[in-house]
Amino acid sequence: MNLLTQLRKRERLCFKWIRIGHIEVCEGHRISWAAIRANKLRATLTTLGIVIGIVTVTLMGTAIQGLNRAFLESVSAIGTDVLYIQKHPWFHDEPWWKLIKRREIYLPDGRSFIRNANPAWHIALQSAGIRTLRHGKNVASGVVLIGNTEEGAITDGLSLKAGRYFTASEVEGSRPVCVLGADIARSFFPNGDAIGSKLRIDDTSFEVIGVLEKRGKFLGLENLDNTAHIPVTRLARGFVFWPGIRIVVRVGGLSALEDSKEEVRGVMRKVRRLAPGEADDFSVNSTEALISAFNRMGRIIAGVGLFITGLSLFVGGIGIMNIMFVSVTERTREIGIRKAVGAKRRAILIQFLIEAATICLIGGLIGLAITAAATLIISRFFPVTMSVPLAVLALLVSALTGVIAGFLPAWRAARMNPVDALRAE
Amino acid sequence: MRLRRLTVMLAEAREGFLMAMAALAAHKLRAALTLLGVVVGVFSIIVTMTAMRVLQSNIERELSQLGAHTFTVDKWPAISFEGPEGWEKYFRRKPLTLQLQRTLRDRATLAAAVGAEMDLWRGEASSPYAKTDPDVLLDGITPEVLACKGWNVEAGRGLLAADVDGGRFVCLLGNKLAGKLFPHGSAVGQTIKFDGVRYAVIGVLEASTSMGEGQDNFLAVPITLGLNRYGAVRRSNLTLLVQARDQASYDDCVEQVRGVLRIARKVQPADPDDFEISSNDSLITQFRNLTLAVRIGMAVISSIALLAAGIGIMNIMLVSVTERTREIGIRRAVGAKKRNIMTQFILEAIVLCEVGGAVGVVLGILGGNVTAWFFEVPPTIPVDWVILGLVICSIVGIVFGTYPAYKAANLDPIDSLRYE
Repeated sequence: MNLLTQLRKRERLCFKWIRIGHIEVCEGHRISWAAIRANKLRATLTTLGIVIGIVTVTLMGTAIQGLNRAFLESVSAIGTDVLYIQKHPWFHDEPWWKLIKRREIYLPDGRSFIRNANPAWHIALQSAGIRTLRHGKNVASGVVLIGNTEEGAITDGLSLKAGRYFTASEVEGSRPVCVLGADIARSFFPNGDAIGSKLRIDDTSFEVIGVLEKRGKFLGLENLDNTAHIPVTRLARGFVFWPGIRIVVRVGGLSALEDSKEEVRGVMRKVRRLAPGEADDFSVNSTEALISAFNRMGRIIAGVGLFITGLSLFVGGIGIMNIMFVSVTERTREIGIRKAVGAKRRAILIQFLIEAATICLIGGLIGLAITAAATLIISRFFPVTMSVPLAVLALLVSALTGVIAGFLPAWRAARMNPVDALRAE
Repeated sequence: MRLRRLTVMLAEAREGFLMAMAALAAHKLRAALTLLGVVVGVFSIIVTMTAMRVLQSNIERELSQLGAHTFTVDKWPAISFEGPEGWEKYFRRKPLTLQLQRTLRDRATLAAAVGAEMDLWRGEASSPYAKTDPDVLLDGITPEVLACKGWNVEAGRGLLAADVDGGRFVCLLGNKLAGKLFPHGSAVGQTIKFDGVRYAVIGVLEASTSMGEGQDNFLAVPITLGLNRYGAVRRSNLTLLVQARDQASYDDCVEQVRGVLRIARKVQPADPDDFEISSNDSLITQFRNLTLAVRIGMAVISSIALLAAGIGIMNIMLVSVTERTREIGIRRAVGAKKRNIMTQFILEAIVLCEVGGAVGVVLGILGGNVTAWFFEVPPTIPVDWVILGLVICSIVGIVFGTYPAYKAANLDPIDSLRYE
């Protein structure tokens, strides 16, 4: 019984507190608005300071995010569950002279790897060169000619717009057939009659058996559509100096990537006839390494960029603090009167905090609008998009700036002695 | 009369300055916060620019491998964005031969020295005392290269024409390599082994000023010897180095060399050169052009903070004008001109900006040179940006101080006296 009354009492008290809190916030809000409206020019300038800060920080954030997304899209277009067995690692700490003495990987190594490999894997043997393609009067030079095997379409995640990829027997017989990248196909065969046509690569005639879907650019730089695929055995014939191949393994399923990596390594060691204890004379590369290297660099760029732009937001915050101090000084009497008629410290604190936060939030909103417009313009040259989390974050940051910058002035106002405050001139 | 006007103006300026300082002293917290804004704004510019300058001067030092007023002639351009086609174009050019160097030496009368150089091989060097990693560069040179590259001989002698003509098995050691191979005494007169061949050390070069990893880790041998042993590896393409007599005849010398080479290589009058002429300056210019966009972008982004600070100043000046309306009224009433009021407030803004700017510059230089400390390179003070930063500061003070000052100056004295 006693407990129940106590609980009820506490509940009532609780509601009372909430109601009072609510009233205080509402009132604080009203007074802040009146204060902001009373000094329009001042409020505008303060807001402008915050707007500048928010715009720079948000734009920088958008740019960094865009860069990250472009990179991840490019990487996932190649495939993240793919392992590359190559002579050199993509990133290494070892001195170069140890690496260049490694044996080159050649086609027989690749065939032997396929014979010994897990049958669940898709394996392609690849090499590349730069060649000139001709069809009638059309000439395309600097085309990346990729030598591939029949499973290359699967390992590279290629999809065909028309025709087919080459077959095992075509690779075996090093047939003069080719599959064209989207850009080459469009410039050579604008009417879409590519399949079955002949074109010349260097001085040999090749039959077009397939056309690839458009793949876009890797990291916005390297065009993946300016390519042509031919059987790797055919490419090997065309080379005077044979630079070796890479073995591309799609293991299927990201979960087992680490295990598969070890398995791939074991198979390759067997192919290379390496004794136990001997160091690998090849590297198993994966896009993970690429991503982590990019992340390292991205973090530095993001850190520097956000630091420099953060400085402008900081300056904006200082502006708010300064103006709030002025505001407190000017309204000393008002504070004194409010306190005299019973306003609590908390009420005064809330009033000034709300004033600062309101200015900052308005600044944040305007800043966001400007950023959105700027992003639209920039996105024509650079793959950036505004994201909702970033916008929310920007608003939070601006509100937080207001609260932090406004706290000291508000605290000073709240702690004023009502008697002194009333006497102030 | 004129002197009197000058005195009056000086007195006015002095008075304005004193009043500005008094006003700042009266509101210490406010002044401090405004100052902090300017400090951060200027810091942002200076710290960015100092860091950029440190990195830039570091790279430029790496690019400056040549001696004074020297340029190189090469088959390949230093930087090319022409892709595989461009590569093919350069690939098809005839190599620059030792014969060409001799022709150039005889015919280019404006050149003080014409040398030829070729990076031959990287391998392992050994002495009876030590052995290196297989990353030592074997450099084939003619005697003139020492002058062209600004190499000085620290001990022993340089290369002689007779060494080159006879293809003698002699070598000059880079400073770091000499220290590594002969840790306990002079290398001169000793014998070293590189790639299985013995060379007598005739001299050791002074340490270079460059900070790079691979610097001074090389040995130089007569180019004739090098070509005999390694020439076929790189199709005997040499880099020619030409030193002009002085800076005045540098451009003429470049043109003369170009003419001699075109004739020697039988380039038709309308055809472009089939070689590339480059110098420290042209490399640095290329590098600067490449990074221009980045540098402009950084300058713009870092100066935004100063803009925000400027707005803060304007705001606080406006407050200051409102608060001191009565004071302005009294000054006007006792005879102060509009000009005096204007000077007073603009001076106040400028003082704020300059003090803040000076502190910001100092902090910025310190902060920016953290990168120098991080990369272990000598620190830099970007004098131009320091000056520019302070000038921008004054401009910010004037621009953002003018409107409040104008507002103050145009107050009606009667109204402002009545103002409460």
